[in-house]
Amino acid sequence: MNRSVWSPLDIGRIAFIVLLVCTASFLAGCFGSKTYPNTLEKNLHVHTATDSGSWFSHVRAAVDIHRVGEDCALDYEGTVQLADPKIDIGIPPHRWSYLVFVFANSSFLANRSGTITYETLLKARPNYHYEIAVRYRDDMYHVGIRETLPNQSTGREIEPLELSACRSSTGRK
Amino acid sequence: MNRYHVFAMFLSVLVLSGCISHPQTAEEFRKAVPAAFSAKVETFEVNRPFSQVASTFQKMGPNCLAKTIKTTSQTNMSYQVIVTTYKPTVVVTGKKAELHVQQHHEQGVLNVSKEPDGGYYLLVADAQPVTQTKTRIDLYRPSIGHGVLIQAVKNWATGENIGCPDLTK
Repeated sequence: MNRSVWSPLDIGRIAFIVLLVCTASFLAGCFGSKTYPNTLEKNLHVHTATDSGSWFSHVRAAVDIHRVGEDCALDYEGTVQLADPKIDIGIPPHRWSYLVFVFANSSFLANRSGTITYETLLKARPNYHYEIAVRYRDDMYHVGIRETLPNQSTGREIEPLELSACRSSTGRK
Repeated sequence: MNRYHVFAMFLSVLVLSGCISHPQTAEEFRKAVPAAFSAKVETFEVNRPFSQVASTFQKMGPNCLAKTIKTTSQTNMSYQVIVTTYKPTVVVTGKKAELHVQQHHEQGVLNVSKEPDGGYYLLVADAQPVTQTKTRIDLYRPSIGHGVLIQAVKNWATGENIGCPDLTK
C-alpha cells in the first residue's frame, strides 16, 4: 500500500509529454498565423458585423494580407483579426496586395469547425481610401469594397479580382 | 458540411447509382431529379427582369461558389476531415440563364459511382423571362441538406439579401 507518487517511468512519460507540448507550441508559433504589423498610413477601413445566428456556434472574421511579388508570388505579411466593428488597416499604395477575408465558424455542440474565404487582389491608389463592409449573418457572408477619395462619401465599388488577373497582366508584359 | 450532409450525399449517391447511372451532364441531372429520392424540382417566379437575374448569376456564381472548403468534425471516437471543391458554371443565352453547381470531394468522402468532370451535379438553376419584369426560376436541387446554398441561389434570383453562402454549413 505504501506506493511512491511518481515512479521514474512516470516522470519520463511526463517529461516526454511536456517536451511534445512545448515543441507543438513552438511549431505553431513558427508556422501559424502572425499579426499584421499595420504600421502604414491607414487606407483600409473595415466595418465588420458577424452573427452566427446561434448560441451554440461562433463566427470569427479576419483578413490575411499578402504582398504580391512581381512574379505574382504571394508573401504572407500577417493577419488582422476583425474583432471590432471598425478597424483601420494600412496597406502600401502603388503595388498589389492580396486580401483574404476569412470566416471561421465553430459549433460547440457538434464539435465541428470550418472556414470559408473571400479573396481579392487590391492595388491601393495613393490618397484613396477603401471602405470595406464585412458581413456574416444567417450563414451568408458578404464583402464589399468601395474606393473613395478623402472627404467624399461616394465612390466606386471594387469588384473582386482573382490572383489569375495578376498572372495574366504579368504575362502580357 | 456536417454528418447530415454526408449522409444526404451518401443517400443520393446510393439511390442514383443503384437505379441509374449518376448524371454526367446538367441535362441528365434535370431529368434525374424528379425521380430522385433526395432531390426535387422547385419552380417560382420573381419580380425581376431576366437580364438582372442573369447578371447576378454571372457575378455571384463564380465569386461565391468557386471554392474549396475544408471542414472538420470531431467526437470522442472519431475525427473527420472533408475537403470539397465546388465548381459553378453559368451559361447565359438570350432567353435562358443557367447556373450549374458541381461538387467534388477531394478528401473524406468515398465516391461509389462515376463522377463527371468537375464533380457530381448538386444544383441546377434555370432562369427564363416571363414578362419584361418577371422571371421564372426552375431549381433542381437537393431535398435534404444544402439549405444555405439553395437559399443563396433563391436570393440571387429575387435580388434580396444577396450574399455568398457559407458552404461549410
